[in-house]
Amino acid sequence: MLPALAHIGEHSEHRRKSRRSLARRTADIINGAIAELFENEELARKPGLLQRLDPRVRLGTVLLLAVTVSFLHSIPAIVVVIVATAALAAASFVSPIAFSRRVWATAGFFAVMLSAPAITGWISPGPALLGHGAASITMPGVLVAARLILRVIAGAGIGLLVVWTTRWSDLLGALTALKMPDVIVATLAMTQQQIVSLMRTVENIHLARESRMLSAGTATDNREWVIDRMAFTASKSFKTADDVYDAMLARGFSGHWPTLRRLRMTWRDAAWAVGLLVFCALTLGLDRMIAR
Amino acid sequence: MHIPDGYLGPQTYAVLDVAIIPIWTVAAVKVKKTLKAKQVPLMALGAAFSFVIMMFNVPIAGGSTGHAVGATLIAILLGPWAACLSVSIALVTQALLFGDGGITAIGANCFNMAVIMPFVGYYIYRLVAGKAPGLGRRIAAAGVGSWVGMVAAATAAGIEFGIQPLIAHTASGQPLYAPYPLAVAIPAMMISHALVFGPLEAAITMGVVAVLGRQDSALLEMKPASKPMTWLWAGLGAAILLTPIGLLASGTAWGEWSAEQLKATLGFVPAGMEKLGGIWTAAMPDYAPTFIKNPYVGYVVAAVVGCAIIGGVAWGLGKLLSHGSDDGTAAPHTG
Repeated sequence: MLPALAHIGEHSEHRRKSRRSLARRTADIINGAIAELFENEELARKPGLLQRLDPRVRLGTVLLLAVTVSFLHSIPAIVVVIVATAALAAASFVSPIAFSRRVWATAGFFAVMLSAPAITGWISPGPALLGHGAASITMPGVLVAARLILRVIAGAGIGLLVVWTTRWSDLLGALTALKMPDVIVATLAMTQQQIVSLMRTVENIHLARESRMLSAGTATDNREWVIDRMAFTASKSFKTADDVYDAMLARGFSGHWPTLRRLRMTWRDAAWAVGLLVFCALTLGLDRMIAR
Repeated sequence: MHIPDGYLGPQTYAVLDVAIIPIWTVAAVKVKKTLKAKQVPLMALGAAFSFVIMMFNVPIAGGSTGHAVGATLIAILLGPWAACLSVSIALVTQALLFGDGGITAIGANCFNMAVIMPFVGYYIYRLVAGKAPGLGRRIAAAGVGSWVGMVAAATAAGIEFGIQPLIAHTASGQPLYAPYPLAVAIPAMMISHALVFGPLEAAITMGVVAVLGRQDSALLEMKPASKPMTWLWAGLGAAILLTPIGLLASGTAWGEWSAEQLKATLGFVPAGMEKLGGIWTAAMPDYAPTFIKNPYVGYVVAAVVGCAIIGGVAWGLGKLLSHGSDDGTAAPHTG
């Protein structure tokens, strides 16, 4: 995936000891994002539980779960949704390690960082569990933070389910079937293709700089270079738009957008929809019961 | 600034999810009128550019890096309505393709980064750049516009976070969503964006506008919908007329206590405050000109005077900056 030249610098002892350059770091991030995109497409092709459902039902599932979790107030009810999300991910061939790393280690970590001051008496006054005064850890504070962290984890898990189990083309098909205007669907479809194309360009720009640099360069030099390359990318983007439009005209574009493939619901989708509605209703009922 | 799921309650995200739909509709109509048949590839490329610009690592102080949003930059290049659609598409794609930003929070994220940021940034840019600016003035205008746009968007996010404890809490008063009150959330968002991310955004926008202006100035000449300033003036007028709403609030803002209030609360007035308190007497204390008896009229007059002063300073600054550039390039987005 990476051009062979890009690895040359890595073999030197000095390079191994030093930190990666800005160009290399950015190229790696972009390469990682592109790889993730293709991995998601591959995962979405697997015959898992969610993948077998009609894309419209899948989209409805994540939306309904996301809305349901936003209405939950009690911690046990949110935990139920987290467990259900993890089970759904496992039944859809999503690696438990990758899922938990992304959900718990990334989303959960940021939620912990953000909610840390909220556990203190400064933000959440109440009976102290530890310490005293504004810096004490209070019972209401711990509850507030726990609720926020768990809700963010549940939300991140639900979001990842749609990202990891739905091919972009299926998502666009579902949006078309849900009567989303063709122009929006077409724009989204083209955006995805152009994102990959532009990311490749930007990755190559960074790798080319890496291969030509003897030192990491000063922050000012790097900043000037980044700004210059951003301007180049802007210029290239808008020129490409003209080329794409010319190509569309050459292929007979007359202002109408082709409809993506028609989708058909089966008994499996209907059963899933009913089961999901029952699950959401029961979770909300449990939440209200506990809250009372 | 991407708000994930879980931070905003249904009362907030549902309102913003619904509110964004008519904005997108108006944007689509405006863009169709302006950019005609080329709109789709241009929108797609604009969105892809917006997406990719967030992937550039930019060195900032202390060896760390940050990234720009580029909403004001795209508004300068494509016009604010097209920027609204492009950044929205980029944000929706980020949420659905990479799980970056919450599904329920799509409306809030688009409102902050695809509506507030490009519109505020673009109109400040227009205000400072004026009608016939040189490149130097345009670059300065891009910097001011993008900084203000970024801080405005961060403030909006701070308000969305800060109202959560007020509108969604348990019977005992515990917040159910974002836990910080307005007095904490707004300064936290504003200060970090005003000092770190805003200057970064401004530096990048200025740099890109400078490079494009020198290399490919045609990119800065795309025309937006006609009469773009009308909305600004209408919005400013409406905001001025609504300022008396502030009189409905009871009490004093945190930290803005008068000497009398402090004495009533603490039993004494700090010596330093007593010494320095009388150094400056405001021309219109408490937004109430002394020559106007009606407090509501006084509020509106104070708002008009305040806007006039700020506008005058911005205009003067723009005039000053325009003298520094003499390349004679045409004004972008005149209309």
